Amino acid sequence: MGTTASQLGKDLLSEYQELTFLTKQEILLAHKRFTELLTKDEKDLPNTRVPVERILTLPELKSNPFRKRICHVFSTSEYKDGSLTFEDFLDLLSAFSDSATMEIKSHYAFRIFDFDDDGTLDCGDLEKLVNCLTGETDDTRLTTEEMRQLISNILEESDIDKDGTVNLSEFQHVISRSPDFVSSFKIVL
Amino acid sequence: MEEHNAVNFTRLLSDESTLSTMSSDSCEYYQTEIFDQLPSIQTSRLGQDRQGLWETCEAHQGGPEAGERISHGHLSRGPKDKAFTQPPRNLVMCIQGRRDARDRRKMQISNIGFWESWRRSQSINRRRVWAQMGEALSGLLPWLHTLHTIEGRFGVGVKAYFVFLRYLVFLNLLHSALLWVFILGPTTLYGRSNSSKPLKFGGNDSVLDFFLGSGYLDRSPVFFSFYTRGSLNFQCLNTPLLYLAGILIILFLSLILVVRRMTVGYKHTWMLGKRYSMNVSYKIFCGWDFTIQDTTAAILKHSFIRNDLKLFLEEQSFSLREAQRTLGLRVRLYLLRFVLNLLVLSLLGGAFFLIYFATKTSQQESGHYWLFSLVLEYLPPITITVVNLLLPHMFRKISSFEDYSFTMQVNATLVRSIFLKLASLGIYLFFIFTTRERQKYSFHCRENMFGREMYKLCIFNFLATFCDTFLLKYPRKLLQEKYPSSLLARLSGKQRFLIPFKVLDLVYSQTVSWVGVYYCPLLPLIGTATLMATFYIQKFTVLRCCVAEQRMFRGSSSSVLFHFMLLLGLLMAATTLGFNLYQQEATQNENMSSCGPFGNGETVFNVTGVCVNSFPSPAQTTLRYLASEAFALPLILAEILILTSYVSRRRANQKAIERLKDMLVMSSSDKRFLVKQHATMLRSQRKTHGVCSGAIEEDAPHPL
Repeated sequence: MGTTASQLGKDLLSEYQELTFLTKQEILLAHKRFTELLTKDEKDLPNTRVPVERILTLPELKSNPFRKRICHVFSTSEYKDGSLTFEDFLDLLSAFSDSATMEIKSHYAFRIFDFDDDGTLDCGDLEKLVNCLTGETDDTRLTTEEMRQLISNILEESDIDKDGTVNLSEFQHVISRSPDFVSSFKIVL
Repeated sequence: MEEHNAVNFTRLLSDESTLSTMSSDSCEYYQTEIFDQLPSIQTSRLGQDRQGLWETCEAHQGGPEAGERISHGHLSRGPKDKAFTQPPRNLVMCIQGRRDARDRRKMQISNIGFWESWRRSQSINRRRVWAQMGEALSGLLPWLHTLHTIEGRFGVGVKAYFVFLRYLVFLNLLHSALLWVFILGPTTLYGRSNSSKPLKFGGNDSVLDFFLGSGYLDRSPVFFSFYTRGSLNFQCLNTPLLYLAGILIILFLSLILVVRRMTVGYKHTWMLGKRYSMNVSYKIFCGWDFTIQDTTAAILKHSFIRNDLKLFLEEQSFSLREAQRTLGLRVRLYLLRFVLNLLVLSLLGGAFFLIYFATKTSQQESGHYWLFSLVLEYLPPITITVVNLLLPHMFRKISSFEDYSFTMQVNATLVRSIFLKLASLGIYLFFIFTTRERQKYSFHCRENMFGREMYKLCIFNFLATFCDTFLLKYPRKLLQEKYPSSLLARLSGKQRFLIPFKVLDLVYSQTVSWVGVYYCPLLPLIGTATLMATFYIQKFTVLRCCVAEQRMFRGSSSSVLFHFMLLLGLLMAATTLGFNLYQQEATQNENMSSCGPFGNGETVFNVTGVCVNSFPSPAQTTLRYLASEAFALPLILAEILILTSYVSRRRANQKAIERLKDMLVMSSSDKRFLVKQHATMLRSQRKTHGVCSGAIEEDAPHPL
């Protein structure tokens, strides 16, 4: 079940519509943009995997500080290198689409923010997260003291069971209180 | 065995609970073997492990079997049924996994039976139809592309302003539709009374009438006096009654819509108490806006977030400093604040006096040059607008001296500006009510005079917005671009789109529209047109003339405040209307109103009284009872009872939350303790393995 050359079969299209939150137009647009990323030889192969560097050239991802983590989370490759097939790409767009549920979005947001993939957000994850948010150059980071104060504030607010980390339920508890999350956790082609 | 700490039900801090009595290495917890196999960790890793996925469903069906597949967590938290009625796209896994889940579900369906599968497919189809309808409806909303562009360049806060503007456009359209049905429709269909003046260009009419609201416009459908009782003359169905019903329905509907939006917004920002405030976690977890595609916008967002975080940390240290203030310092500060508040009050008083002076001046007769008389007529609106333009900025400066935290400063400025805007409008209305010189003029219609003032306010608001953009902002921007180093450019600085003030303007114009709708029924139509024009003008301002504001503005938390302002405006409109009707009733003898639907000695109460009298007697007595004071007391009592029940329920819920949190902390520290014990026991067993020779393989208890 792979994508053929440059056309998307009708039954495949309807299957994708059923399995994702994307509309028909969005799937076709995604297909078009994905095939633009492929080289000439790759276009004929089914189920090609696009390396992460090419994915990151997409304008929607280029300025996103979490772009590498996003590719990593949605990638199904065995080498964990962040490369995406077309179906992974659709997965990505589906989770970031307008109609995805809050649960899906919060789940994936948690995985994106979990930099060490251990299932919880501990101090190291939070520090990397804050650094991603404030900017990626050295002069935009917070000082160590500010970082420490900030992280202790975060943990005091969201770590309900006081184990020193934020797990998925606690994360979802914070997210569910903010109505802006669903509208800002969106990537539309 | 070592003894655990004595039973201690206070909530532990994170440092304490990561240590166990047996081992002192606190990060070991996450590196133990059994940690990966805990069900809670497995659930969060669901999508990553495709292998585990396929077995998950079967394990879930048979219940987790000890000793076999404890390691794989369960698919859904809810009842088993939920996993199967959820559409495959709602599952958190990759597309291949969802395919397999769907295929498995299809296999399941053959075991379930006809009724169940029919029910499921029906619910799926229904959901799909709803989703399609919702999509179609949201595609119909106008200006989507503009909003998307604005969001990308300026962030969610500025977009929230434009969304609010669009909402007001729809509200005004709805009002206009109701107007057509209740007021304009019957008048067109059933005509007016014979004594009303015809609608033609007369001798004294001029183009100025469109600005002054006199002459031609005075006789037109724009104002109150046009709608007289026509051929529709039943007891309970006549033009005056329809007119009144239309206005009341407009106000009532607006009340419902505004209250609904306000409560929805309030629920979102509802904080159960200081302990549950999620300020900084929210800023971090929901901080990044994934819709940003532009590199400059991204850099801006980074600096927003950084500034916001620094602001938060600064405010924290501020509150620490505040707690450490000495008594002397505190007294001095309170004195300073008192003086500044007096200053604010005196500024407000001065503004009100200016408005009174302008109202008095504009009512003087003038046979002067037409331009001068135009300016004189417009003097009150001009004064109000100038006052509303200058004073909020002065309040901003004043609040910076009061040594509040930044959020407090913004809120204080906002509250003062709201008070200024609404009170200046209220004072103006009050002056119009109490000054009666106009009566001596040729206009016998008080309602028309009132409507004319509201019309002028509305027109002038729009003109002010227009001139502000094209005569102030755009030249300033050109100046910045062409001569950036000149003195004027450096003095004026970069322009910012100050959202709170802009929203205040919108709320103010909507309040004017509500106050004036009874006297000038076409105000909603005018309002729709001006709001749409304002959308494009502000779009031009934002996209061409402004740079992004440095301090981030959070849309959701202030939307409650803005809707509350709308509500206040609506209440003011209702009070004005009620007061006017009451005055009409009280001064019946003097025959104040001789125009419009309630002219010729008929008052509102007369007309409604006639209608009520035509009802059957039980209905009449019920209505009379509902309107009397004897009903008010039980009503108030009932409201008090309902409120008390809500408050007590809330308190009980809060207590339950506290108890649950304590339970959670205890369970979590139990879990950590057990994990550590287990890991330490394993390690000590391995040590004894290492001590004995490798030949002897003891049957160590495996966690699997």
